Amino acid sequence: MNTSPHVQSPLFSAHRRKPPRLFVAPALAAIIGGLFIYFGALKAWDPLKFANDIQNFHILPWPLSVRLAFYLPWLEIVCGVALVFGWWRRGALAILTSLMLVFISATIAAQVRGIDLDCGCFGSATKNLSFTSHLLIDFAILAGLLIVWFRQQPRRNDLYL
Amino acid sequence: MKRVLVRQTLVLLALAMVPGIGQAVYYRDRVSWNAPAIAPDEVTLEQAQSWGDSVLWVDARPTEQFEREHIPAALSLNEDSWDELLPQMLAQWSPEKHVVVYCSSQSCAASHDVARRLREEAGLKNVYVLHGGWEGWSAAKK
Repeated sequence: MNTSPHVQSPLFSAHRRKPPRLFVAPALAAIIGGLFIYFGALKAWDPLKFANDIQNFHILPWPLSVRLAFYLPWLEIVCGVALVFGWWRRGALAILTSLMLVFISATIAAQVRGIDLDCGCFGSATKNLSFTSHLLIDFAILAGLLIVWFRQQPRRNDLYL
Repeated sequence: MKRVLVRQTLVLLALAMVPGIGQAVYYRDRVSWNAPAIAPDEVTLEQAQSWGDSVLWVDARPTEQFEREHIPAALSLNEDSWDELLPQMLAQWSPEKHVVVYCSSQSCAASHDVARRLREEAGLKNVYVLHGGWEGWSAAKK
């Protein structure tokens, strides 16, 4: 009988070490959630500036832009908190993914229409970035959200709501 | 699974309304809810035109857009070519002039940035931003 401490049964080994991929989704969710909390807070800090940024896309009338400017930052913050803590993660992912798709489509549409864009997607944090850099960040966040969506593990609190 | 997703989404959408409405109530007297307000450093097109020949129009849009079309007699001054264009602009400036800076629309930031730099770095007074920008000007000319 082999009693060496270096030889362990596969079962014991599996219990001791979780495969690293199990940590990918929660870690990525926490990072992306943190980003949305940060960018949402920057926009919530100055809703009038954000209203002007929405208006700059020339898609919505001012009365709707200004009302959205008071709502969207908080939606990002609430969904960001949900992602970080893993509460209602599916709902948060669905909302944030939809928001990113809308941001990306609106940014591309504005560029195609030749609008001088200060998109305000990330508050004042990325004010001096070029259109391409903005779009790359948007796509990176979208890719992260999709990875979390497809890699997330079922959670107990998902079943209760 | 789908019902869970819909419920979670609705709960999050509703939750975000609470601080959003609270903040809107807090800002209710400071926000123009039906039309964009005019900032203290902005002037309307009518006001700028009432100054007649004492207006020095400054186009803060990128040079390509300026070359395509601009307000008659406007000078180009954007942040990308600041060092090169500022001396040309200052050569046309005199203390009695009202400098009115514009960019492409009401919400672009370039005109405000250029106006601020003209006040702070070049020490000019009577520097304003055109409310509505180039878009407002072209709409008024149609």
